[in-house]
Amino acid sequence: MEKHEVQSRVKQVVSRVLKMDESEIADEANFIFDLGADSMQSLELVAGFEEEFDIEMDQDKALEIQSIDGAVEFIEGYL
Amino acid sequence: MTSRFELHQENLKKIFNPKSVAIVGATKLKGTVPYDIVENILKADFNGPLYPVSPRERHIASVKAYKYVIDIEDPVDLAIIVFPSAVAHMALEQCGQKGIKSVIIISAGYREIGEKGIEREAQIKQIAEKYDISFIGPNCLGVINTDPTVNLDASFARQMPDPGNIGFLSQSGALCTAVLDYARAKHIGFSKFISFGNKADISEIDLMFYLMKDEQTKVILMYLEEVSDGKALMDAAREVIAQSGKPILIIKSGRTSEGASAAASHTGSLAGSDEICDAAFEQAGILRCDNIEEMFNKAMAFAYQPPPQSNRVAIITNAGGPGVLTTDAAVKEGLEIARFSEETTKLLKRHLPSTANIKNPVDVIGDARADRYNAALTAITNDDAVDGIFVILTPQSMTNIDEIAEEIVKVAKETDKPIYTSFMGEADVASGIDILLRNKIPHYILPESMCKAFKSDYWFHHKIKGHRFKPVKVEDVNKDTAAKVLEGAVQSGRTILEEDEAEIILGAYGLPVLKGGLAKSAEEAIEVAKEIGFPVAMKIMSDDIIHKFDTGGVILDVDSEEDVSAKYQEILDNVKEKAPDAQIRGIWVTQMAQKGEEVILGIKRDAAFGPVIMFGLGGIFVEIFKDVRFRVAPLGETGAREMIESIKGYKLLSGARGKNPADTDSLVDCIYRLSQLAVDFPEIKELDVNPIIVYDEGKGCAVVDAKIMF
Repeated sequence: MEKHEVQSRVKQVVSRVLKMDESEIADEANFIFDLGADSMQSLELVAGFEEEFDIEMDQDKALEIQSIDGAVEFIEGYL
Repeated sequence: MTSRFELHQENLKKIFNPKSVAIVGATKLKGTVPYDIVENILKADFNGPLYPVSPRERHIASVKAYKYVIDIEDPVDLAIIVFPSAVAHMALEQCGQKGIKSVIIISAGYREIGEKGIEREAQIKQIAEKYDISFIGPNCLGVINTDPTVNLDASFARQMPDPGNIGFLSQSGALCTAVLDYARAKHIGFSKFISFGNKADISEIDLMFYLMKDEQTKVILMYLEEVSDGKALMDAAREVIAQSGKPILIIKSGRTSEGASAAASHTGSLAGSDEICDAAFEQAGILRCDNIEEMFNKAMAFAYQPPPQSNRVAIITNAGGPGVLTTDAAVKEGLEIARFSEETTKLLKRHLPSTANIKNPVDVIGDARADRYNAALTAITNDDAVDGIFVILTPQSMTNIDEIAEEIVKVAKETDKPIYTSFMGEADVASGIDILLRNKIPHYILPESMCKAFKSDYWFHHKIKGHRFKPVKVEDVNKDTAAKVLEGAVQSGRTILEEDEAEIILGAYGLPVLKGGLAKSAEEAIEVAKEIGFPVAMKIMSDDIIHKFDTGGVILDVDSEEDVSAKYQEILDNVKEKAPDAQIRGIWVTQMAQKGEEVILGIKRDAAFGPVIMFGLGGIFVEIFKDVRFRVAPLGETGAREMIESIKGYKLLSGARGKNPADTDSLVDCIYRLSQLAVDFPEIKELDVNPIIVYDEGKGCAVVDAKIMF
């Protein structure tokens, strides 16, 4: 899967979970600091990525990922 | 260049008196820390604009919110960061860019969680240094300033306390909420209330100095879990007390001592960290408290009432038993039961029934009502022989409790003498106690607590405040000689110096060591013995043998050349049998000391407070009774003598049961010399002079055995 496709699908998940427009989500946006995710939403993001990409991620490591860029890179490691 | 200390003092002004506040990481979710802090600030009616900063919300609690702190158009004095620790550094970075210098980091998830948290703490410290920011926290409850011109409740406590003149600092946030609740029930107010958490930047020392200058603060209370820099804490406390005359009361938790049993010396095993903390606080004038109740019992005395001019107290009671209990407690605390003037006695006789006891303690009798209490109080407060009044009440059927409380309040307003109360009981006396506490009359459930609080107040104002610490420096020492011996030992990888080498060091510092020499053969031992004179003591010298007596390595009273030769071999044989692998450096042949009183001196290096000196009587007094005293070095002008005079067995040295007084002047000199040695050589971890024998007054003392661990 191409990187831009991963990034686009990551943004879709983020948009769905955080209930915000995709256009508001910058590539380098931090889930908490820029997008205002709380701890529950951080868990929902991890679950959303797993479902979207049909992968099973290391939960602790996944929760350390804080940005769109970081999530793209992390998910690529599972594909 | 401004030091971090100076910077903190400047930035603390805006932490406590900000003109505007931003809450960075605020949310709309009620019942969460970020929301409750916004609500508390609004509830307290903060005297300035509030800027919630939230990535998602446009309004929080009807206040306009900003996406980033840098989006706020106006200047911000104080930022409170409530973002999770994973991103709090990003918020702090933006605070720096915005030019905010005063920050409180509430977020947890720093050094208290381990390695990852330690890294995060280092990161925020680095950012703070880059932008000249000072921050309180992380991992804290926040800060409260009750000053009505500010009204800042930057915390997630349940309720803002009443204004008062007590400044409270706490390393534990959870304890803060308990303290606030406890204090509210007793109508105790605070000037400043500070939870400083991990103290990664602003420490308790910075805060103490801030409260020193704070006009609303009269008493400083602190809950401390760890002393990071004991020396700095002592210096700060001394400075704060000397400059402001404000008492400092500290609960230092963690009284259990670990690791003391593993120490290699007597001093090491006796000096647990808590005993050292006790000694250090006492030296610095800090009043150490065991629990919250004791702390506030004492704080009420300091905060509410004028200081007592002397320790002469009067007791007024409506019941004999409690009067006796109070008298016992007062005497136990070293207070004096005042003798009334003739005038007072006459007045009491006139106003009290014939069955009343008009001598101190005054018993106004069980059926006393407010008028009788008033008569006794008025007469006694006007007596020059009385400098403190304890009022006791027990609830009888006719006791008009509330009226009596009101009378006490009235009299207290008209006198400059401290009045303390104990309304004994609980349910029936509750409303009376409430009247007393609302009117700032200290109240105590137990008379014993009342006497302790008074003693503390008296002690502080008469024995601590106004005494400037002057460290004693001993100049006539030969530091080079001592350094040479220590350097040599360090270079050869050794960690213990036995008597032969330890005494060179002690001798260089002017301690009275006995003549002696190290013999590597029987012939050399005879030569040394002939030179110093018979009888002699002979001791095995080996770094591998800690307890020389146990291996048969010590023989005393050797009084001829033949005997020296025989005993030399005997010692070697004993040691070969009991410690076959020990490396022997030789046998120390030394003068026999004359009989006298055995005492022990020592040094221990404490992780928090640095060098500590120990003094105690030798033999069973140290082994069984642990009758020893500690002082952090360097000692002040009266420190050494206080150590000697405060041990329980001091009478043995001062001439008990027909014995001549011991030469304590000589001991004082030895303690100061040891203190100098401890200060000059931080590499000395432990040192025992055990025993040192002290002779009759004017005859000095002699070091009989010594050991140094480094």
